Amino acid sequence: MERIIMHLDMNAFFASVEQQSNPELQGKPIAVIGAAKRTIITTASYEARACGVKTGMNVWEARQHCPELILVVGNNRKYTWTSAQIMQLMLQFTPLVEVFSIDEAFLDLSGSLALYGSAEQIAALLKAAIRERFGLTCSIGIAPNKLLAKLASEMQKPDGLTVISAGKKAAILEQLPVKDLCGVGSKTARQLSLLGISTCGELGRFPLEILRRRFGIVGANLSRMGRGEDDSPVTPSAADDRVKSVGHSMTLETDISERREILRFLLQLSEMVGRRARRYNVGGRCITLSIRYADFDTWVGKQETLDRPVNQSGDIYRAAVAILDSLELQQPVRLLGIRLSSLQYGEKQLPLFAQERKQVQLVGAMDEVNDRFGDFAITYGSLLQGGTQTGMGSRVISPAWRPAGISNVDVG
Amino acid sequence: MPTRIQENIRVAVIHGPGRSLRPVWFDWKSRKHTVTAISYHWQQKSGEKLLLHYAVSTGSALYELVYSVTEQLWMLESVDAEKY
Repeated sequence: MERIIMHLDMNAFFASVEQQSNPELQGKPIAVIGAAKRTIITTASYEARACGVKTGMNVWEARQHCPELILVVGNNRKYTWTSAQIMQLMLQFTPLVEVFSIDEAFLDLSGSLALYGSAEQIAALLKAAIRERFGLTCSIGIAPNKLLAKLASEMQKPDGLTVISAGKKAAILEQLPVKDLCGVGSKTARQLSLLGISTCGELGRFPLEILRRRFGIVGANLSRMGRGEDDSPVTPSAADDRVKSVGHSMTLETDISERREILRFLLQLSEMVGRRARRYNVGGRCITLSIRYADFDTWVGKQETLDRPVNQSGDIYRAAVAILDSLELQQPVRLLGIRLSSLQYGEKQLPLFAQERKQVQLVGAMDEVNDRFGDFAITYGSLLQGGTQTGMGSRVISPAWRPAGISNVDVG
Repeated sequence: MPTRIQENIRVAVIHGPGRSLRPVWFDWKSRKHTVTAISYHWQQKSGEKLLLHYAVSTGSALYELVYSVTEQLWMLESVDAEKY
């Protein structure tokens, strides 16, 4: 039986939510930025995009394209709540909803057509519900698989509905640039162009052996993608809840180079990672520290494997500091990140020695207080000193954010 | 840019239908502000506390009102009069 897959992509999501929240912004070029002191555009409205403003631009560059651009500081809680509500609306049509990011999801509608008639009918109902409840628009793609559904939703923006049927797929892919396929980045596209491949049609016909030699196991995938084949299932979050790592990163409001300040942020990140790991009863043996310098182009990432899985914030912090001490920082720091991986689930063992046992009980008591009164209601004294940066906790919605489960992060 | 206020205020609200709340007017700075439109609504959990946020317009400014369901308190979170 041919599958019917839908991809739904919210249009300029953060900017559209802000335009709905403040009617004065409707019809105007606006850009959402992360914080008042940072200057990178997170999302731009369609009015701003028409002037050439793009995600990732700095404000100075954006203003060169659009002098009348209005900047709005983003409100992550508003976006995560709206996203979770929209995902709930999708679940009314099928239980097979895979949240792809905060503003994108795949739905497997193969079993829903008997109830609703057609995928186009479901698309119309979803669009109407989202528009009525939130005033927002979305673009929808319908196709026999996820690859083509995602491609279809990109074809008409904003507020589009595009269907790629099995019969039309070859004609659409023949002249389509390979870089338009989800999963083909600019690096892969460059490597393909060295082989004389620029369109999906060419990619699908290209000898498989050469692709395998050049790209390894990915070569066969690329060949299938060129022909528009993709048998990956739509995986609802609940079935995919066993994540491989728990991590947090934060872009700092100002670049920092003082060790004392860096340690303060590492402790905060360790608490965020540790708390999430403890909440879902996982421990990890591998700690990774990531640092991005002020030029934003240079990354340092180093990991340390411990002799046992940990989830206590103190253990994570000590490992992160040990990694930091093994590095020589080249520039002031703009971003810090800590990740816990090599996870073991169901990790809960009371330590043998009284001192360590007290420590675990103390952290458990802190967790209970924070569960009741909110994150960082009770925390380490050193995090409260010299607080020139804004509030504690996650300020960025990561691509791995999900509306529920261990991948759900309460963002400020 | 909105200005943060974070003051507890008095709000007149219509409850219902169902569990919905609709702020109608509020007192702030010894003045009654009549809500002409609710442009957006969202919720937030802070620990066990459930907070209901309302972006409301009075025609002359945009306000963010927050109702703490747990504490049964209304707060004026921010005001944005810049673009009006």
